Amino acid sequence: MKSLALFAASAALLLALTGCQTNVNTVSRAEPLARPTLVNDKRIVTDRTLGDLIGVVSVNETIVSGNLRKVQVTLENLRDNNREIRYRFEWVDQDGMGVGGVSELWLPLVLAGRETRSVSTVATSPRAVDFTLKIVEGK
Amino acid sequence: MNSPLRRFSAVSLLAAGLLSLSGCQTPRDAKYIESGGASTVVTLDQINIQDWNRAADAMVASLLSSGVLERVPEQPAVLAISRIVNNTQQQVDTDSLTKKIRVALNQSGKVITTTTLGLGGKVEDPLAKESAEMAAMLAGQKQVTRLPYYTLSGKLLEDRAQAGKVKQVTYTFQLSLTTVKDGLAVWEEEKQITKQGTRSSVGW
Repeated sequence: MKSLALFAASAALLLALTGCQTNVNTVSRAEPLARPTLVNDKRIVTDRTLGDLIGVVSVNETIVSGNLRKVQVTLENLRDNNREIRYRFEWVDQDGMGVGGVSELWLPLVLAGRETRSVSTVATSPRAVDFTLKIVEGK
Repeated sequence: MNSPLRRFSAVSLLAAGLLSLSGCQTPRDAKYIESGGASTVVTLDQINIQDWNRAADAMVASLLSSGVLERVPEQPAVLAISRIVNNTQQQVDTDSLTKKIRVALNQSGKVITTTTLGLGGKVEDPLAKESAEMAAMLAGQKQVTRLPYYTLSGKLLEDRAQAGKVKQVTYTFQLSLTTVKDGLAVWEEEKQITKQGTRSSVGW
């Protein structure tokens, strides 16, 4: 009786887990033509659990519309199950003052198992020089 | 295990449970939250503030990345807001979208919006228009209005689906930037936001 209950519980747990499991397989050019301008980044992890779940692969930037900075951060889900996060970009000017703007808002993102996704933002002010990406776990 | 230790463990567990619950519980008393932030209410029957924000952010990023604003002969380019057709089931003020875009474009220094020229003669700032006309008349000159280089038009769409108790709504935001001199849409973008669930919720 006890082993039957244990088996049922294990089966239910497995079913529940597999229900959330959708890993992503990818294929891309072996020698990429893209030559992104990578940014040396500084990472501050205050939520170790989240840090173990979501990794930052790279940060690159470019200039759009002549004088506006655009940054792109590539994130990776380090686990096999779907992961919901929220992220927000913030910009500061040369004096370290916040620039604000419509792009400074929390946005949701769902990453499938082991998926790599890029999130990006464009500074709406030419005064914006530095950025911070904040990431928190989703609901 | 002796009973005081058992009691202490039980109280600790209860306290921990209460503390963890209170951190996530739905608020009963009114309080201030971040507009459009992660604590905002999500509903399935209307475009929420976070939906407008997300759509505006995507549109601005797309427009600024497209490079079309670099090609204007004189910066900042003058923009006039044209018709934004609302084909959703709800009555919305399309300024919830266009104003955010205007603010961002204004901040960028690439575009300024005219407030004295409007669709069907309805201007946003009639006092500015009348004052300019009056000033021109008193000076004995013909009023010179700077005509727009671009117009912004668009459409809001809604798509609903249901499977059992699960409801789904997709709001589609479409915008086009047209060059006035030749009537060609030099930038177009579409952003879809889909929400799914059985009932409204606090936070997302």
